[in-house]
Amino acid sequence: MTAVAMTLDRPAAVPKAEEREILLSVENVSLSFGGVKAIRDVSFDIRKGEIRAIIGPNGAGKTSMLNVINGFYHPQEGTITFKGQRRHRMAPYIAASQGIARTFQNVALFKGMSTLDNIMTGRTLKMRTGILGQAVYWGWSQKEEIRHREVVERIIDFLEIEHIRKTPVGKLPYGLQKRVELGRALAMEPELLLLDEPMAGMNLEEKQDMCRFILDVNDQLGTTIALIEHDMGVVMDLSDRVVVLDHGVKIADGTPDEVQRNQNVIDAYLGVTR
Amino acid sequence: MLYREAGQFKTSYAADMAIFPIRQDRIGLAILLAFAFVVVPLLAYFEIGPFGHDYIFKAILIPFLILSLAAIGLNILTGYCGQISLGGGAFMAIGAYAAYNFSLRIPELPLLFSILLSGGMAAFVGILFGIPSLRIKGLYLAVATLAAQFFFDWLFLRVPWFTNYTPSGSVNAPELNFFGWVVNTPAERYMLALMFVTVFAVIAKNLTRGNIGRQWMAIRDMDIAAELMGIRPLYAKLSAFAISSFFIGVAGALWAFVHLGSWEPLTFNIERSFQLLFMVIIGGLGSILGCFLGAAFILILPIFLDQVPHAMGVPLSVETVSHLVYIITGALICFLLIVEPHGFARLWAIAKEKLRLWPFPY
Amino acid sequence: MEGLGPFLEVLIGGLLAGVLYSLVALGFVLIYKASGVFNFAQGAMVLLAGLALVRSLDFLVAKGLPFEVAVVGALLFAGAIMAITAWLIERYVLGPLLNQSEMTLFMSTIGATFIIEGAAQMLFGSDVYPLQLYPTDAWIILDEVFPGGILISKLDVWGAVIAGVLVAGLAAFFQWTRTGRALRAVADDHAAAQSVGIPINWIWFVVWLIAGLVAVVAATVWGTKLGVQFSITFLALKALPVLIIGGFTSIPGAIVGGLVIGAGEKLAEIYLGPYIGGGIEYWFAYVLALAVLLVRPQGLFGERIIERI
Repeated sequence: MTAVAMTLDRPAAVPKAEEREILLSVENVSLSFGGVKAIRDVSFDIRKGEIRAIIGPNGAGKTSMLNVINGFYHPQEGTITFKGQRRHRMAPYIAASQGIARTFQNVALFKGMSTLDNIMTGRTLKMRTGILGQAVYWGWSQKEEIRHREVVERIIDFLEIEHIRKTPVGKLPYGLQKRVELGRALAMEPELLLLDEPMAGMNLEEKQDMCRFILDVNDQLGTTIALIEHDMGVVMDLSDRVVVLDHGVKIADGTPDEVQRNQNVIDAYLGVTR
Repeated sequence: MLYREAGQFKTSYAADMAIFPIRQDRIGLAILLAFAFVVVPLLAYFEIGPFGHDYIFKAILIPFLILSLAAIGLNILTGYCGQISLGGGAFMAIGAYAAYNFSLRIPELPLLFSILLSGGMAAFVGILFGIPSLRIKGLYLAVATLAAQFFFDWLFLRVPWFTNYTPSGSVNAPELNFFGWVVNTPAERYMLALMFVTVFAVIAKNLTRGNIGRQWMAIRDMDIAAELMGIRPLYAKLSAFAISSFFIGVAGALWAFVHLGSWEPLTFNIERSFQLLFMVIIGGLGSILGCFLGAAFILILPIFLDQVPHAMGVPLSVETVSHLVYIITGALICFLLIVEPHGFARLWAIAKEKLRLWPFPY
Repeated sequence: MEGLGPFLEVLIGGLLAGVLYSLVALGFVLIYKASGVFNFAQGAMVLLAGLALVRSLDFLVAKGLPFEVAVVGALLFAGAIMAITAWLIERYVLGPLLNQSEMTLFMSTIGATFIIEGAAQMLFGSDVYPLQLYPTDAWIILDEVFPGGILISKLDVWGAVIAGVLVAGLAAFFQWTRTGRALRAVADDHAAAQSVGIPINWIWFVVWLIAGLVAVVAATVWGTKLGVQFSITFLALKALPVLIIGGFTSIPGAIVGGLVIGAGEKLAEIYLGPYIGGGIEYWFAYVLALAVLLVRPQGLFGERIIERI
C-alpha cells in the first residue's frame, strides 16, 4: 500500500514528533468490564500536531482506549492529562468542549438526518443562540445559522461531498458515510481527532481519498490525530509514531520503522516482516 | 410542468434554508393562508355555503386546529426527540385546569396570559416527568408516561380544589375576552384558534430546523454519539419535554376554552393520548406538516364513516362507526409502518416529487 | 390484633387479585421471550378471547346443549378464533416487519390492539356479558381467631391455582424442550436465528397461538370476576407495571410482579387512600413501577443494558 504514499506530498521540514509538546497523555490506565480486563496499565502520550497510530490485533483494547480518552468509559485506575489538566476520568461533555472529536468503528451517524444536518450537529457547541432566539429565527438566530452553514459548506467542499449534502445519510453507501462522519468530527474544529478505523471496508480509491483528507487535516489545520487502523501500509505512510496494544497491554511505542522491526510486535500482530 | 423547480436557483444559504424553498410551495401556502384568514371569515359573515353554518366550525375546523397543535407538541417529543409518550391527554388536562384556575383565581390576569401560563405549568410538569427519561428508555418510558396519565386523571377528578369544588365535576370556561375582543360565535372561535396555531406552528418549525431541533434528532437517532459530540442529553431531552408539554398544555387550554366551553376530566383520558399518538404516527413522525395531516385524518374518519354510508342509504349505527374507526385506524398504522414509516407527510412529499416530473414518468 | 384481621383479608385479596394481572402478564412474557416483540395487544386478545368464549357459550346453551358440553365447545371455538388471530397477525402485521426495530414492532402491536378491539366488538357485540365458569362465592376462614373471620374469594383461589399450573408448564416448556430453546434463540436475534435455519414465521405463529390460549384462560377468570366487557382492556394495561417489576422475560417474575402490584394496590387503597381522596388504585401500580424504574431502569429483574459503541 505504499502506492498511497507515493501519490501524496509530505512537507519535508516537519519537527520531529518527540520534540513537540504533549497534548494528551494517559498514565497507568486500567479498564475492566465485570471480570474482563480490557486495558492493563497502559501509558503513552500524543504530541501536538502529530499523527499517532494505535494498532494491534482484534480485542487488544484499542477502541476501549479511545472511549477512555473520550470519556465514554471510565478507567478504574490511571489518569488522563489533556492540555495540561490531569483527570482521573474524562467526561464526554468536557472532552467535546475542550476539543476532542472522534469517528466510530461502526459508523455512528444520525441516520434520520441529512449529510448537511449531521455535519451541522458538529457545530452545536459553537452555537450560542438560546431557544427563544431560535424560536423566532429571523434576526440573531438566522445570522448564526448562516455563519455556521458557511463553515460546514467549506468542510463539505474539502471532503468532496457536495452532491450528497441533502441526502439522508441512511441512504448513503458505507464509504461516503465514513466521510460524512469525518466531516462531522471536523465541524467541531477539534484539537485532537480520534479516528477509529476510518478506512475499514473501503476500496483502494476510497482509501487514497481518505488518506489525503487525513493528511490535509493534519497539515493544513494542524489537527493532532490519533488513528486506529489495521492496514499496515496506511499506518506506515501516515503516522509519525505508533503505539501497539495486545490483549490490553502496550507492547511497543515508537516510530513506524522501530515498531515494524520490534520482535514482540511481529510475534503478536504483524507475522512476517515486510 | 407546473411544479418544476427549473430556474429557481438559491443564491444564498438563507434562501436554501427557508421553510418553503420552492416558489410553488410558497404560493400554495400563501393561497392557503389567505383562504383561512380572509376568505373563510368572509364566507361565514355572509353565510355562504357550508361556512354559513356552525357545524363546519364546531365539528371540523376548530377541533382540527387545536388537535393539530397538540399533535405538534407530541411530535416534538416523540417524532423529533424519540421519547415515546402515552401521556398526551394528561398534559392537555394540566393546561386546561391550570388555565381555568388562573382565570378563576386571578381575574385581573388577561386571558392570553392565563393560557400561556398554563402552558408554562404544563411545561414545568413535563420537565418533572422528563427527568426519568434520562435513565429510562423506550418501552419503559412509555409505561412511565402512563403513570402521568393515570395520576392526573385521578388528580383532577378527586382533588376538588382544581374544579373549584363543583359537585358535578364539570367546569365552565370563562368568557373569552382578549383585550376587549369578546370571542363568541363559532367563526370567531375559529379565528382565535387559527391565530394561536399559526404562530405556534411557525415557532415549532423554526425550532425543529434549528440547533435545538438537530440536537433532538441526534438524541433520537443515537444518543451516545450525540453525547460524545458535546450535546448534553439532559438539556436536549428536558427541553423537548418542556417545549412539547408547553404546546400540548396550550392546546388543552384551547380545547377546553375555545372548543368545548365546559368539560370534565374524562375528555383528557387515555383515549385522547392514543388519539394524539395516532395522529403523529399516521401523519408522520418528525414532520410538522404531518401533524396537520394526521389530525385531519383522525378527526374526519368518524365523520366520514357516519355521513357517507348514511348518504348512500346504508346508515351505520354509532357503535358500528366507532368500531370501524378502531379497525381502520389500527390497520392504517400497521400498514404505514410496513409501507411508509414516515407517514402521510412522506407520501405527500413523494407525490410532490412525482409532480415535479409530471408529465414525465422519471 | 385489632387491625390484623382486616389487614390479612386485604392482603390476601390483593395477592390473589394480583395473580389475575399475572395471567395477562404471562402472555406478554411469552411473546417477548420468544420473539423479542413487546405485544401491546395482549389485553385486547383477552377481550377477544372472552367475547368469543361467552358468546359461543351462550349460543350453545341456547341451542339446548348441557352446560359442560357447551363449555368445551365454547373453549374450542375461542381457541380457534385465537389461532386465526395468531395467523393473521404473523402474516400481515409482524411478518412484514421482520428485522425492524423494537419500537416499530411495538407500535404495530398498538395498531393491532385497536384492530382487535374494534373487530372483536363488531363481531361479537359490545355489551357486558356475564360469565360463570368458576364458583364466585367465598370461604370464610379463621373465624375463631379473628372476629368475622377472613374472607377469601373462591374465584381468586381458582385463578391462583390455574396461574400456578400455567407458570410451571410454560417454564418447563421453555427450559427443557427443543422448541422452547428455539424460541429463546429467536427472541435474542431474528437474523441470526434465521441464518441457522429456524423458521421464524412458523415460530411466531406458534408463540402467538400459545399467548392466545393463555388469553383464553385469563378471559375465563376475568370474565367470571367482572363480566366480559371492553373495560377489561384497561385492566390489562395494568400488566405493564407487573412486567416492569417482574421483568419482561421471566415467567416466574410475572407472578412475583403480579403479587407485588396486586397487594400493593389494595393495601395502598385501604391504608393510604382515605388521606388523599380515595381511588388510588387507579394509578398506584404505575407510579410504583415508575419508582422502581428510577432506581433500576431495566426493571427489577431485567438485564443491565451495557451500551456499546
